[in-house]
Amino acid sequence: MHRLLAFTERNRKEILRDPLSYIFCLGFPLVMLIIMTLVDQSIPKEAGMTVFHIENLAGGILVFAQTFIMLFTAITVAKDRSGSFLIRMYATPMTSRDFIGGYILPMLLLYLIQALITVITAFIIALITKADLKISGLILGIVLGLPSAVLFIGFGLLAGTLFNEKAAPGMCSILISLGSFLGCIWFDADATGGVMLKICRCLPFYYCTKTVRAAMQLQFTGNAFWKPLAIVSICAVVILTLAILAFRRRMRADLA
Amino acid sequence: MKAIEIKGLTKRYKTKVAVDHMDLTVEEGELFSLLGVNGAGKTTTIRMLSCLSEPTEGEAHVLGFDVRTQPNEVKARIGISPQDTAVADNLTVRENLEFMAAVYGKHGTQAKEKVEEMIRIFRMEEVAHTRAKTLSGGWKRKLSIAMALIGAPKLLFLDEPTLGLDVLARRELWQAIEAMKGKITIVLTTHYMEEAEQLSDRIAILIDGRICAVGTLAEIEAISGQKGLENAFVEIAGKGRTIDA
Repeated sequence: MHRLLAFTERNRKEILRDPLSYIFCLGFPLVMLIIMTLVDQSIPKEAGMTVFHIENLAGGILVFAQTFIMLFTAITVAKDRSGSFLIRMYATPMTSRDFIGGYILPMLLLYLIQALITVITAFIIALITKADLKISGLILGIVLGLPSAVLFIGFGLLAGTLFNEKAAPGMCSILISLGSFLGCIWFDADATGGVMLKICRCLPFYYCTKTVRAAMQLQFTGNAFWKPLAIVSICAVVILTLAILAFRRRMRADLA
Repeated sequence: MKAIEIKGLTKRYKTKVAVDHMDLTVEEGELFSLLGVNGAGKTTTIRMLSCLSEPTEGEAHVLGFDVRTQPNEVKARIGISPQDTAVADNLTVRENLEFMAAVYGKHGTQAKEKVEEMIRIFRMEEVAHTRAKTLSGGWKRKLSIAMALIGAPKLLFLDEPTLGLDVLARRELWQAIEAMKGKITIVLTTHYMEEAEQLSDRIAILIDGRICAVGTLAEIEAISGQKGLENAFVEIAGKGRTIDA
């Protein structure tokens, strides 16, 4: 366990000392919340567009920000693999469990910091706009956003394992675009319906946003919360398992 | 006890044979150099001995443990400083050392003492709080070797430790390596003749994955009939002779 924690600490320092992690992982959600709230204020009420109301936006941004954690996971793993640092570490008593745990734990920590910044900003905006957003809902949003955080970290670990330092960020950019668009962060697929809704329902991103939004609004009904939560949790387990298997396989190949 | 015992060790990559039926013994406490041109099989040999690459054929025992079947036992007792310095770029010198100390199970006072010892031995006080990515090549090499030593290994592998260093940094690193002589077993790969000549107790000359000569400098000179390691190396490599002193 001490090796896993040592590697976690090394990765935490490596990530938090990269200025990009502050810009994308911590600053970006804050800026997006403010900008999209200003956009929301500019949309006439008659338009009936509620997706940018802070009670919907907060959950969407919390999930959208997780996609950048995916990007950072992929970059960290791919960068370690492209240099000789990871190979050197293979010659120490560290096991694949230490490596995988050491990559996942600091990313979860980054998520918690990011989510905290997001909900505090959302709470302040809710106070200003007199929106109905409760502290209990925001805290539950952070906790129940964990399965989707694990899902995105799994995607990042998978991309960093399968692709090199140049290709992994590109693959993640595709997932970021897919995640934000088909995750219904910027539009209401349920209101749109049709083919778009069917496509969104085929991918886990839609359920990630739905779960966190429902948790923040304290709506714990079956279709609004439990079903999406179950789907996200299953997808998170599947993707993380695939990522772990891919990483172990890559490690064995590196040592062949 | 022998530090390293190799019998018929071979590594093949599809059509290329990187190491070809190598037989070798390294005594405990020895500083042993693997000398050869680029692509001679030096790094591949070190990779196999440090459990970073599986042998295609043959046997290798490191400190009495089989590299194939007891890799965890081997890894717990060795240190390696790879050809690329392989340090954590965004960590300071001290943090890199603390990290490696923790990986080798050293905590609290024990870890702190070991880190201070390494900083003192390699005279890294002035860069202790500098991030690794901003260090010069010489400091990075020193850090890399200190990281390999912090787990108190019985056997240290140094893969081309002075590659790309200027003459002053090289001499300084030689001093650090010489200071370790006799305390632990060191296997060093190099293609610098003067480095092998200066530091080694025994030298093996590798040509195309095969050991063509092994012995002390005097023994290799006697076998080749040439004075100086460079002349001996050229003679042996030129004729492709297989000699065991």
